[in-house]
Amino acid sequence: MIVFLQSVLSGVLIGGVYALVGIGLTIIFGVMRVINFAHGELVMIGMYLTWIIFTGLAIDPFVSILISIPAMFAVGALIQKTLINRVLGALPENQILLTVGLGLVLSNLVMLFFTSDYRILTTSYSSSTLRLAGLSVSTPLAISFAITSAITALLYWFLLKTDTGQGIRATAQDRDAAQLMGINVKRMSLLAFGIGAALAGTAGALISPTYYIFPQVGGVFTLKAFVIVVLGGMGSVLGATLGGVIIGVTESLAAVYISAGMKELFVYVLFLIVLLFRPAGLLGRSRV
Amino acid sequence: MKTFLTAAIVLGLGLPSAARAEGVKIGIINSMTGPEAPIGESLTNGIKLAQDDLAKKNIKVELIWEDDTGKPQVAMSAIEKLATRDNVAGVVGPYTSASANAVAKQAQRYKVPLLVPVAAKEDITRQGYEWVFRLNAPANVYAQVLLDAVTQLGKPKTMALIYENTDFGTSTANTAKEYADKKGIKVVADESYSKGSPDYRSTLTKVKALSPDLVFMVSYVADAILLMRQAREMGLKPQAFLGGGAGFTTAQFASEKDISNQVLTSTQWTDDVPWPGAKDFATRYKAKFNKEPPYHAACAYAAMMIMAEVASKQGGDREKVRSALASGSWNGIMGDVKFESYEGYANQNRHPMLVQQIQDGKYVTVFPDKFAGGKKASYPFPGWK
Repeated sequence: MIVFLQSVLSGVLIGGVYALVGIGLTIIFGVMRVINFAHGELVMIGMYLTWIIFTGLAIDPFVSILISIPAMFAVGALIQKTLINRVLGALPENQILLTVGLGLVLSNLVMLFFTSDYRILTTSYSSSTLRLAGLSVSTPLAISFAITSAITALLYWFLLKTDTGQGIRATAQDRDAAQLMGINVKRMSLLAFGIGAALAGTAGALISPTYYIFPQVGGVFTLKAFVIVVLGGMGSVLGATLGGVIIGVTESLAAVYISAGMKELFVYVLFLIVLLFRPAGLLGRSRV
Repeated sequence: MKTFLTAAIVLGLGLPSAARAEGVKIGIINSMTGPEAPIGESLTNGIKLAQDDLAKKNIKVELIWEDDTGKPQVAMSAIEKLATRDNVAGVVGPYTSASANAVAKQAQRYKVPLLVPVAAKEDITRQGYEWVFRLNAPANVYAQVLLDAVTQLGKPKTMALIYENTDFGTSTANTAKEYADKKGIKVVADESYSKGSPDYRSTLTKVKALSPDLVFMVSYVADAILLMRQAREMGLKPQAFLGGGAGFTTAQFASEKDISNQVLTSTQWTDDVPWPGAKDFATRYKAKFNKEPPYHAACAYAAMMIMAEVASKQGGDREKVRSALASGSWNGIMGDVKFESYEGYANQNRHPMLVQQIQDGKYVTVFPDKFAGGKKASYPFPGWK
């Protein structure tokens, strides 16, 4: 029983970070109908940013998100303005080529400047734990989960309660109708990509005290985020949150009860089963 | 700009053509970029130190460097190029087991003497290839020497295996299982993982529930640190943590004192071993590269020295180089080297592996006794601080 609870707990904690990556991707998709295949690379940039801030300025990784959130927002907005905006009306395959290419450029640029060495952040609490009714919880993971929850809650409030948030949702629901209603959809697109990039960067920052950093790390997250988003329903923020946690828990349980080497298999089998019965994802609305 | 151009021309064109005029050509295949680059760099450094020493000995060789980026298919095209276009007398490398295994086949096909410095997969020298030589001890010894050491230290009954599902990981783990059977240790968990996963906690939870006496891990650099950190989080407390070389024998790992203390690892070489020149190599390595020398560097150095001496003596004739390698014997920083055929191996050096323990951030050789020089391992693992 302890083993089961422990693995569910580990899964939920790591799933929270996955969810953050997924939410970023789903917002971008919802507003622009562009799948950002460079999303994992944005997570990677967030990690390197944290690493630079930590080693250069000696600022704690969790505090550093105060710097990396606005920085990543700016990076995202810049990417949207200069690149994504130009292919908004283009064929989907052109959009995919653009974002895949962008990802390659980013990871290779980072490799050029930082080499492919693995970097590990060692903080005073890197390997410390909290005890909770016989279960052990990694301190950095627990902190990052708390921050993830806070950010997600803030994001929900922003999307549901503020005018700008509603504007973003309206644009996601129907771009043309939103424009007719006087919503500045260009500005919403810029905001959406900025928020998406900021979330990806934050996830990178939050995971870096417990993970390691290298230029090709993005690929893992792009794929995961994509699965999470499709599983939860393309464009659904709640779906992505749910999807992230489901993937985290599935991985964790599969690793404990079957084999760590095969956990990905179970994630994808689950993914296929969900798509078989709910082609639009768990919380997605079918567009047919 | 002008000086930059001149420098580029001198570096890019001038030197190689000047060097081409003299010395035998030797190919190097190593992982200089890509995910294996951190350890690949140690091999590069070892070879660079060998280059200095060869120059001192007035042995002229021209090295042709090829980067396999850690991928077997790139390594294969590298050896094709070296064998056919550059016409090298011999090749030293590649670093990883997967690359070395792929390259061995090609070396046999193109009839190029290949000296593998540090790749561990047994198969590399088990396929009867007369052109393939290996300096280091194969994967089974990694596990054997560790289990020999712990059975001398205590009486462990059960063991859990956690390893990366790559050539090196699986072959080391498989031999560990076989050898544990012989030693009467029961393998209670057999967990492979694919590397790069951010979370090994679930695997470790499962292992903890079985409370094994020994936890044997085979991992490359970053995963070794991650696994030990998470083992500490989970409060995993066996009699001993055993690390099968690679990621557990790096200075970066040792420097993480919180998690590395008292871990036992097997290694091909240490700087406090009484082999001729070992200490001197370590001192010079530290002076030149400002880093602790890992065994990878020592293996690469020794392999480079042997290959260069043989190749230049034989005037670059591949067949002569091959037979000289097969019949010769050497003594250097890796101890006695002789390529023999035994127990299904061909051209395999019977290299005795060592066990070292990390004591307060430093590697100390503790086994076998004749190489340990009186230093003792502390056992069992006292628990986390």
